[in-house]
Amino acid sequence: TGSLLQAKVPRDLVKVLSVESQSSTKAKASTERFLKNSLRHHSRYDLSDMLCHKAVVLNYTRPKKDKLKEHKKVKGLNARQKRAMKIFQIKQKHQSYEVFLPLHELWRQYIIDLCGGLKPTSNLQFVQQKFLKADFHGAIITVISSTCPSYVGTTGIVVQEFKHVFKLITKENKFKVIPKRNCVFSVEINGFVSHINGCMFEQRASERATKKFKVRRAIDL
Amino acid sequence: MSVDVCEAPHCQLVCENSSFLDEENSLVSLVQQLHFNYKVSLLIPDCSSAPSHLDSVINSFSSFVLIKNMPVSEFIDKDFLETAVYPGSVCALSYRTRIGEDNCVALMPNGRLRLSLDRHSYHLLGIEGKVSKFRSKGRHIVSVDLTDSSMAPGGRGYDRLLSGLTCRLPLTSDFLLSHQQGVQSCLKSLLSRYDWSELRPEVSTKVLHQLTCPSDLGSCDAYSVMDWLGAVDAGISSSIGSSSSFLSTYTCPGPQRMATTALSISVSGFLLPHHVQILIMEVRQFLEQSSSPWASLTVHGFTDNVVSCCENEHGRLRGGVNFYTLLMSKGHDYKLLIVTGSHDSCSP
Repeated sequence: TGSLLQAKVPRDLVKVLSVESQSSTKAKASTERFLKNSLRHHSRYDLSDMLCHKAVVLNYTRPKKDKLKEHKKVKGLNARQKRAMKIFQIKQKHQSYEVFLPLHELWRQYIIDLCGGLKPTSNLQFVQQKFLKADFHGAIITVISSTCPSYVGTTGIVVQEFKHVFKLITKENKFKVIPKRNCVFSVEINGFVSHINGCMFEQRASERATKKFKVRRAIDL
Repeated sequence: MSVDVCEAPHCQLVCENSSFLDEENSLVSLVQQLHFNYKVSLLIPDCSSAPSHLDSVINSFSSFVLIKNMPVSEFIDKDFLETAVYPGSVCALSYRTRIGEDNCVALMPNGRLRLSLDRHSYHLLGIEGKVSKFRSKGRHIVSVDLTDSSMAPGGRGYDRLLSGLTCRLPLTSDFLLSHQQGVQSCLKSLLSRYDWSELRPEVSTKVLHQLTCPSDLGSCDAYSVMDWLGAVDAGISSSIGSSSSFLSTYTCPGPQRMATTALSISVSGFLLPHHVQILIMEVRQFLEQSSSPWASLTVHGFTDNVVSCCENEHGRLRGGVNFYTLLMSKGHDYKLLIVTGSHDSCSP
C-alpha cells in the first residue's frame, strides 16, 4: 500500500500536467507533513507528553473541606422516639403527692423571686405581667369554673404543662389531665390569687415565655 | 318594636271534659303535680254570700313562712334532710327571683331539688345539669334527687353538692317554705338562724251585681269562656254586653242570662295541692246544695316558678301563664281547661 500512495507520475502525463514527481525521500517527507497537518492532534494522546516523567508532590496538599459536617445539626428526638422512650411517663413509685411537694416549694421561691418579693404593696400590673411569662410547673392550681362540671373543683400540683392541657397530681395521688380551653384556673401565692382564663393560655410554656400576648377582650366561657 | 310584634308569645289551651265519678280522670293527678300554687279564684253565679264552712276551711289552711336570705345549702343540711325532706312533707320556692334573669330554686315534696341557673353560676357550681329547653345558651337546669342513695350524707354525690353550694357557688335567696305539719313546730332550728315571717293565705271576696253570664258553659267555645272569665276577674265585666259601647264590642259568649248576684273569691298565698283539693270538694258540695248552675275554680301557678306540671321545665318569655280552670256544673261533670305559655310543657 505504501507503493500505491507514493506512485510516480507516468512519463507521458508529466508534460501534460507539467508536474514533476518528487524523489522518494522528498515524497515521504511531504506525505508525512500532509498527514500531520490534516490529522487532529489531541493533547491527551500526545505520545511524547505521555512518556515523559511527571513528579507528584505527596505532602503539602490543601486539606479538603468536609462540607457534609457543616450542615449536620443536632436533631432532637422526634415524637415517636420520645414516646418510645417514655420520658413523659412517671413511674408508679413516683406517683405520690408528697414527692411533688418539694417541687411546689421550689416554684414558690421562683415566683417570689420573679415578682420581686410578693408584698401586699406590690404593683398588680407588674405581678400580672410576670405571671404571664412565668412557668407553672410545680404550681398548685384549682379549676374554679368550667363548661364541663366534672372538672370544677379539681386541685393539684402541675406536673406537666402542654400546649392544650395541664397535667396535675391531686392529693389523692391521681393524675388529672385538664384541658385549658373553657376553663378558668386559680393560682394562689402569698395571698395573691390570680385567675387564669385557659382559653388564652393555649401555648407551650416555652413559647409563652417569649411570645407577646395579644390584648383580647374577655370572653365568657 | 317590630321584633315584639313578629314574635308574639303563643299559648296552649287544652280542654278536657270528664266526670268526678270517673276514676281515671286526670284531675287528681294534675292537681297533685302542680306543687306550687299562687292563687285560687272562684266564681259562683247566683250567690250573694260566701258559704260559712268555706271560710272555716280556708282558715284551716296551714300557714307558710317567708325566710330572708337563706343559703340553698340549708336544704342539704343533715337535720333538715331527716326531719323534712325524707318524710316528704316540705316544699320551698325561691321568692322574688325572676326565672329569665336570676338563679331560681325549688324544693318539691318528693325530695327533688331543682336549680335554674344562669351560665356563669352553672360553670361555677360544678354539678351536672341539662341545658334549658327554652333558652339553650343562657340557662341550665340542675336537678338533684335528695332522697336518692347517692345523695345520702357522707356519699360522694352529697359531698360534691355540699362543697358546690357552700364553697363554689354560695347561693342565697328568700324562700317561701311550707310544711304539712306546720313550719314553726317542725323547723324550729332552721327558723332560729334566719330572719323569717309567718304568712297566711289572703282571702278577698267580691260580690258582683247584674252580671251577664253564659247560661250553659258546656255549649260555649273554650276560648271564649276563658276570655270571659278573665274579664270578670279583671273587673271589666260591667262593660260587657253593651255592643254600642265605644271602647269595646266584646260580648258575653253563648246563650246569655242575667245573674243578679255573683260571688268572686280569691285565695292567694303559697297553696299546696291538698289545699286545692279541699277547695274543690267544698265547692262541689256547695254546688249540690245551692241554686247556682255552675261554678268555676281557677288555680294559678307562680309565674317565676322553676317547674311546671309533672316537674317539667317552666320558662317565661313574655307570657308565663301557668294555670288551669275547672268548670264544675251540677252533677258530677266538669270541664278542665289547662293553659300554658310558650315556654311550658303541658301534661298529656
